[in-house]
Parts: sequence; structure tokens; C-alpha cells
Amino acid sequence: MAKARSRAAARKVKDRWKAKNWYNIIAPPAFDSVTIADTMTDNPDSLINRVTGISLQDLTNDFRKSHIILFFKINKVEEDKAHTQFSGHTLTSDYLRRMIRRRRSKIEGVYDVDTRDGAVIRVKPFATTDKRIQNSQRKVVREAMKRTISNRAKDSTLSEFMKNILDGRMGSDIYKNCKKLYPVKRIEIHKTEVISHPTIVIEEKKPKKEEIEEPKQPEKKEKKPKDEKKTKELKEPETKEKEIPKEEKKLEKPKVEKKIEKKTPKPKKKIKKVAAKKPVTKKTTTKKTTKPKTTSKKKTTTKKKVTKKK
Amino acid sequence: MGRWGIAHIFASFNNIIITITDLTGAETIARCSGGMVTKSAKDEGTPYTAMKVASTVAEAAHEKGIDRVNVKIRGQGGNKALTPGRGAQAAIRALVRSGFKIGKIEDVTPIPHDGCRKKGGRRGRRI
Repeated sequence: MAKARSRAAARKVKDRWKAKNWYNIIAPPAFDSVTIADTMTDNPDSLINRVTGISLQDLTNDFRKSHIILFFKINKVEEDKAHTQFSGHTLTSDYLRRMIRRRRSKIEGVYDVDTRDGAVIRVKPFATTDKRIQNSQRKVVREAMKRTISNRAKDSTLSEFMKNILDGRMGSDIYKNCKKLYPVKRIEIHKTEVISHPTIVIEEKKPKKEEIEEPKQPEKKEKKPKDEKKTKELKEPETKEKEIPKEEKKLEKPKVEKKIEKKTPKPKKKIKKVAAKKPVTKKTTTKKTTKPKTTSKKKTTTKKKVTKKK
Repeated sequence: MGRWGIAHIFASFNNIIITITDLTGAETIARCSGGMVTKSAKDEGTPYTAMKVASTVAEAAHEKGIDRVNVKIRGQGGNKALTPGRGAQAAIRALVRSGFKIGKIEDVTPIPHDGCRKKGGRRGRRI
């Protein structure tokens, strides 16, 4: 009976495999709607809520960003295309572990942040120092981190916010603000999770793209009022901005000058960073070189075993 | 051109389980474990069985059109051994031998942020 059952099961499995079709997973338009991956299924509804991870290196061909992994969740299926939403990012665990050393402290935090387009994101910054520091100092640094992150989120949309984080601009921003409190060594956003997706549509750059896309779809009448709404929504924040800046602009101008001053020393830091990164890569290479030795030894042993068993 | 997949390798000291899935990890394409290859229980965790397991899995996956693979390797983890077992390296090598192109190798051993107390009591295991 058992054999017959197993045979029947095997047949069923084969049939189910044949019934399955492949689907291309496509990144959201903020990431240029590239095909990231492919999955298969016999029931397209089951595709929804599947998550794929892909490293930034594969998306941008920038080999320095291989330690960042982005996650995309499928939310819509059309024919053989599965469209996705951005659902978060992490740094690889080995990259994080490399930064943590003995006798230095790490500063972490978890903050829920609202963006301008109504999305809620959980952001987890991560900083290391060159010494062990007191808890009170860590507290102050953490507060500074929280302030800069929430300020950034307030005046940027989800995609802008994420681009800031992935470029490392957010890290350098936090660094600038924490510098006076304590000279923190390295700052990185080691994790984000999108808790709720954007509700309001405000994009200054995107409307052009949408206009291009709209003619393809026949329902024009319904979309025109939407555009009006969008424009209204666009106007509202502008008015808000106009009201506030009169006072703030005076304050902002000197800031800009300061920024320029600060920007000039930046390149030096970058060079330092690059110099610091190089030995890391060397380390990995050394590791790789050491590994094969062991493997070669093991190879021989396994071969011996094979011969013995034969 | 073949498709990408993920090879999840779970290598503890007493067994090895390899599952090849698609890139989302939701659909299993092929799987095999130590017990399906050897007869004696003591051999389940050895590198030799790991090799056999990897080659059987590779065959099945090749049939279904998967040529390239990202490897996610994992030991027992939790409050137990954090290093992958003896079979892990042998399994990866066997995957390469059987014609897979390998993209990334990542260690995904679950590491507690502080969890349960380790087994064995205050004075350790006494024999």
C-alpha cells in the first residue's frame, strides 16, 4: 500500500510541476522597473506576498554595495509579470559583524518614522565608536540620530528617503549632527522595514512618467479628476512650505554656506574610507586563499574515502 | 540560459539537508537529506554523504532547468552550535562540481539576540 501511495504521490508531484508557469518579478518604478527574479506557480494568486531579496550590487552594478540587500514584496500580477513594492532592506550579517570590535561600543536605535507621503517606516541606525563610551553619551547620540532621521523623513517621500539611505547620505548627515556630541566612527542604517505604504501621492518628478503611461490605458475620463486631486495635493504642501520658509529662509541661508564649507573636507573622508575599505577586501581575499587549502586537504581525504568504500 | 535558484544548506553535526528553491524561497524545486542517501545513522553528517546529497539534488534541479544558485548555508544556531557542520564545505564543492554556477554564499545561521539558557546545566555535561 505504502509503495502504491508513494508512486501515486510521485505522479501527482510531476503533474503539478508541469502545471506550473514561470513569472518575472519586476522591481517598483523607483528602482527603474527592472526584472529582479523569477518564480513559478500553478496559481497566480499564491504569488502575492512572496518576498525576494536582491543585493544593491545586482541592481546598480556598483560592487561596493554588495552588502546591502533589498526586499521586494509581490502585490500585483499581470500575465507573466509580477509587480512588487519595496518592503525593506538589511545589511548582511558578516558586514555588521566586521564593524563590531572589542572595547568599543555600538549605538543602536529603533525608530518609527512618518514620511511626507504618509508612509510609516521603521528605521534602525547603527553606529560604532573608537572607545567605550558612557551610557549618558550614548543616550545623547541616540537622540541626535532620531532627530535627524525624523527630520529627513518629514520632507521627503518614501523613495527619496530610501535613496538617501542607500547612498549613505543619511549616514553622513547623522555623522555631522553627532560629531559635536561624540566623534562617532561609522554610521550606517542597518535595517529598514516599511510598515505601511504611502497613502498620498506627491511626487514632483514622477507626474511626467505617469503622463507617458496614461495614454496606454483607455480610461482617461476617470483619471483626469485624479490628476486634479494630485495637483491640489501638490499645491497644499507648497503653500505650507511657503508660509513657513519666510522665517526659516533667513536661517537656512547661512546653513547652506556652512554645508558648502563642510562639503569641502568631505572628499578627504571618502578617500580615507576607501583606504579603510581596501584592507577589508584584502582580508576577504586572504580568507578565501586560506579556505581552499583546507578544502584541498579535505578533497584528498574524501577521495580516499571514496576509494576505500569502493 | 538557466534560471537562478537558492540552495538552502542546513548542515548540523549529525545530518545535512539541502533544499533548492526558486528566488523567493516559496517553491521547492528539489530536496534531499542525509538519511535518504546512507543506511547508517552515524554517517548522516559526514562530508561524503553531503557530497552524495548535493549531487542528487543537483541532478533533480538540472532536470527542472536550474543552472545557477545562490547558497545560503546554516548551522544549527539558536543556543546550539553556531558553526555549520562538517558536510557544509563538501556540499558546496559537490554543487560546483555538478555544474552549478554559484552567485553568492551567505551564512544565515540563526543567532539569538539573547534567548534561552543553553542546555547542560550550571556545571556542564558530566559523563
